[in-house]
Amino acid sequence: MSLLTDLAFEARVTARSVADYVTGNGLRLGVTGLSRAGKTVFITALVQALTTRGARLPVFRASAEGRITRGFLQPQPDDAVPRFAVEDHLAALTIERRWPESTRRISELRITIDYERRAGWRPGPASLTLDIVDYPGEWLLDLPLLGKTYAQWSEETLEASAAAARAPLAAEWRGYTAMLGADPASTEDTTRRCAELFTQYLRASRADLYALSTLPPGRFLMPGDLEGSPMLTFAPLPGAASARPGSLAATMERRYESYKAHVVKPFFRDHFARLDRQIVLVDALSALNSGPAAVRDLQNAMTDVLQAYRAGRSNLLSTLFRPRIDRILFAATKADHLHHTSHDRLEAILRLLVARAIAKAEDVGAGIDVIALAAVRATREAAVKHGRETLDAIVGTPLPGEIIDGESFDGLGEAAIFPGDLPRDPKVALRGDGLALAEGDNDYRFVRFRPPLPETTPEGAALLPHIRLDRALQFLLGDKLA
Amino acid sequence: MTIPHDRPQDRPSARPRAFRLDPTDRSEGMGAALLGSGVLLEPQLDPYAREAALVALPPDEAAIEEAQALGMKRKSRRGWGTVFGAALGGLVSLSLWLWVDHLVGDLFARTPALGWFGLGLLGLLGLAALVLLVREWVGVLRQAKVARLHADLAAARLADDRDAARRLVAEVSALYAARPETARGRADIAQSSREIVDGRDLIDIAESTLLRPLDRAVASDIAAAAKRVSLVTAISPRAVFDLLFVAAQIVWLIRRIAERYSGRPGLLGFLKLARSVGAHLAVTGGMAVGDSLVQQVVGHGIAAKLSARLGEGVLNGMLTTRVGLSAMAVCRPMPFGVERQPGVKDVAPFLFKSEG
Repeated sequence: MSLLTDLAFEARVTARSVADYVTGNGLRLGVTGLSRAGKTVFITALVQALTTRGARLPVFRASAEGRITRGFLQPQPDDAVPRFAVEDHLAALTIERRWPESTRRISELRITIDYERRAGWRPGPASLTLDIVDYPGEWLLDLPLLGKTYAQWSEETLEASAAAARAPLAAEWRGYTAMLGADPASTEDTTRRCAELFTQYLRASRADLYALSTLPPGRFLMPGDLEGSPMLTFAPLPGAASARPGSLAATMERRYESYKAHVVKPFFRDHFARLDRQIVLVDALSALNSGPAAVRDLQNAMTDVLQAYRAGRSNLLSTLFRPRIDRILFAATKADHLHHTSHDRLEAILRLLVARAIAKAEDVGAGIDVIALAAVRATREAAVKHGRETLDAIVGTPLPGEIIDGESFDGLGEAAIFPGDLPRDPKVALRGDGLALAEGDNDYRFVRFRPPLPETTPEGAALLPHIRLDRALQFLLGDKLA
Repeated sequence: MTIPHDRPQDRPSARPRAFRLDPTDRSEGMGAALLGSGVLLEPQLDPYAREAALVALPPDEAAIEEAQALGMKRKSRRGWGTVFGAALGGLVSLSLWLWVDHLVGDLFARTPALGWFGLGLLGLLGLAALVLLVREWVGVLRQAKVARLHADLAAARLADDRDAARRLVAEVSALYAARPETARGRADIAQSSREIVDGRDLIDIAESTLLRPLDRAVASDIAAAAKRVSLVTAISPRAVFDLLFVAAQIVWLIRRIAERYSGRPGLLGFLKLARSVGAHLAVTGGMAVGDSLVQQVVGHGIAAKLSARLGEGVLNGMLTTRVGLSAMAVCRPMPFGVERQPGVKDVAPFLFKSEG
């Protein structure tokens, strides 16, 4: 049965890519990123940049050369999926000056760009349709589960939770599991209690203080419409490899498998299997704030997640039958939280975090670039002179509750922040066992800022400042708009 | 891939710091603000605009690429003109063939020996035509390759793309493989390619080792042509002679420059090249107004006061120099990076001095 659905799915993918090839103007952009990496802000800024006349995008060739006549939102192709609420997010950013709330469910958007071709065998007006999907970043963590059995997953999760960094967070859940003894019988009570404690552990690890990343299953953190469903009541158990029927382990295993079959697979299949371009957003700064253990955890999570994609150079055959991602952009988001002189080091750290994904993609011929990016730039740069010392600082309005250098902020006043220097050797950022380091224990501290006061175009549309969004667009869409 | 640092970051690691800004802080000039306890806050220029400017092609380079696209890289267009030409060519060849066929038939009718001799000549003709055709083809392809290399190198230099730079520099180096005098430069480049060198630096190294001697030779060719043209114009008895002479010199100069940079262009290749040179002259004509037109007018004025013929000579010399410089720009397989693109005054300073 599963083989049949897979085959049917492949056939559908093929049919759609043939249709796309014939019309020649569709592009599916995958925006990949764990929770809080900045997917929603990136998509909002991208839509704003492409649809607003007068957006400043000097590096985005088609726009700089004045060949884009207009960009507009269109009804999306998939009626079953909610629309990406770009207007709400934009209002939050520009009017209320707050970041959009974390995404709770999947949504979709289609933009059409009308432009003039510059050269080639078909000069003249043309249009490009861009499909983008936004989803809770937590769900991305489920992709690696597709290739793991319940026993494997249990073993890995238990092992990870025993590590020094996580052990205190997992103590209660692990204690309960240990108390159940070897091979307990299945009752709904125990199952629920196990799942509850396990979920608590996952939630605690994700908190800002710890900023851990490798925390599957993702729906435990962001259940979407599945809150309270039996599919979400399972937890890893030791010795799950030889579960006898009727035992707790057997129940858990059944639920794990149905979670994979009914939640993970459809999500992956409907939204990720057919992508043409991909941008991977990584928020390295929160992990850096927390400590080396959190950075290593982020590295593991990204490596696992990125294994699931199909990348490779496109040729005619693959374009028709097995679409692949031929360009991947790795972007370290929130680059406005540090001075531009540190961006090289941030990029070096990102390169190290996704090194395996880069190697794999380059192996199969996909195009790769790594940049430091801020889809919405919340700060400006200034030099702070203090006695004989000059510091390269950034100026902005820190979010309420942020603490640095003993100062805490109310979200109203501006401040010049010197976040400290990132290490010259990126490997240093991964060395050590520190987690949830206190503010004074780290060489750097990245403060989060409120969105900037927006400028407006003569037509009255808000204009969001950015860092290298135009370069990202040029890399992702430039050749399609040549 | 970000812009180079303004300042080396070798200072000892400093602690994270925060300085509050108060709307009531005293403002110092230039937007600087004095915070409490003697801390001065100076706004910095937006670095991202500078970074964006680095990514765009400079106008000189864009002009060269446009000119190359109009001539050397131009694909033959399929229009009614082409159909007309092809049909006419076909008919003419058929009639020629008829004539040759007749001729050989007649020769055989007279004496078989003479017929065989004629047939032999015909074979030689065919062989020579084939060789010429191949040479033409190679010439056209070579010009297209130079234009492609130029554009790709410019892009790789902008993007600081190391892999592309290695590949392209190897291609440029292969272009000069048959010239013994470049052996040292080629060896140097092969050495640098193996070392860890940034894309942009590798391209710059290749430019200064391989192309600098060629640039010098080309500049002296241009100067020689300009000298000859101004001299002949000044002493020629009739205007039509110097017109012919200037045209001939320009043709010679363009071919010579193409030969120096890549190889013989052939007839078709030369026509395409001439088109690119013309396009480049047209594109840069407007840009050069500030630079050399004033000089031309001034130079012409002083020279004309001395003698009308002399003034014309200077003007023609300058025209030749401009054409030569345009030819240099479009024939060069690498963009001008570390080497500065020469101007009229650099290659032919005598045009400005002689009359003084």
